[in-house]
Amino acid sequence: MRQFFHFLLAGMAFTAIAPPVPAADLKLEARLIWGANDEKETVKHKPADPELSDKLHRMFKWKNYYEITNKTAGIAVSQNCDLKLSDACAIRVKNLGGSRVEVNCTDHGRQIYKGAYALAPSQWLVVGGNDTADTAWFVGLRPLDDKPSDPKKAISKN
Amino acid sequence: MNDDLEVNLELKLQAWLDGELSAPYSRCINPEIVGGEEASRLIDELQAIKAALAGNETARPVPETREFYWSKIERQIQSQAPGPRPAQAPRQAVWGRWLASLPGFAALACLLLLAVNPFASPVFDEISSAGEGMEAVTFHDQSAGMTVVWLTDTTPARPAESPDAKAPAPGKSEVEVE
Repeated sequence: MRQFFHFLLAGMAFTAIAPPVPAADLKLEARLIWGANDEKETVKHKPADPELSDKLHRMFKWKNYYEITNKTAGIAVSQNCDLKLSDACAIRVKNLGGSRVEVNCTDHGRQIYKGAYALAPSQWLVVGGNDTADTAWFVGLRPLDDKPSDPKKAISKN
Repeated sequence: MNDDLEVNLELKLQAWLDGELSAPYSRCINPEIVGGEEASRLIDELQAIKAALAGNETARPVPETREFYWSKIERQIQSQAPGPRPAQAPRQAVWGRWLASLPGFAALACLLLLAVNPFASPVFDEISSAGEGMEAVTFHDQSAGMTVVWLTDTTPARPAESPDAKAPAPGKSEVEVE
């Protein structure tokens, strides 16, 4: 019994002393979305991903959502990543570790928003606001899975 | 006080009768000299009791032999008495035992430290702050799996201060409306 206790404690000590496994980079995608009532035929940009636009449709009044920018990034723990989404709109994302991020949103270099959130897999964090001419802008952030999507599955679904 | 003296005298007379007093003291205790009539009567009583006990004491036969009987009692006493203290372990062995468990305690302390993790940055669930002149409202749509932060420009004098209103306008600058 005493030996077992010693082995147990030794195991615990090893676990405690062993160097921690470095956390994997956080991979995420950032999208700049424009919400408008303009018809698709009149707009140069492609419609936003149906999954995201469906979610936006549930909350917002705009008829159509267009994808302006779509960027992906891999961010190491405690590192920042600047993503320029348009001439004026940029975001700085800091990986706080444990799928937590700090998001800075700037307009022409002026910080308009800063927040810290835990990004859940396949869940969107959207920062948005009104734009001119009864339109709106949205910046969507979502963590990406490491596993590549299976194209066969995608085909079979469709 | 008189009672105490009487009891004392009785005890001395009993001891004298049993032959337990030393010879010089025994000579002084002669009942006829010390106690007079009262002492003589007590002596007679005690002698009668002694004679009665000696002649009529009930014999209690024991099934075992005398030696075996007493050895049983002895064993019972020994089993009830606290056992002899084990020989004291050498000081080195005691220290060795303590030192052997030291890594374990150190590991436990490390684990506790890691659990508390005082060096980790504070964990905040959700922190949100809008820039100057902006107002942020956060809401969660659990069913859609989406968190939305909606920013409103609260500066009436600068209505075009939204992030995209100036030049970038994700919709405005890059969208061509026919």
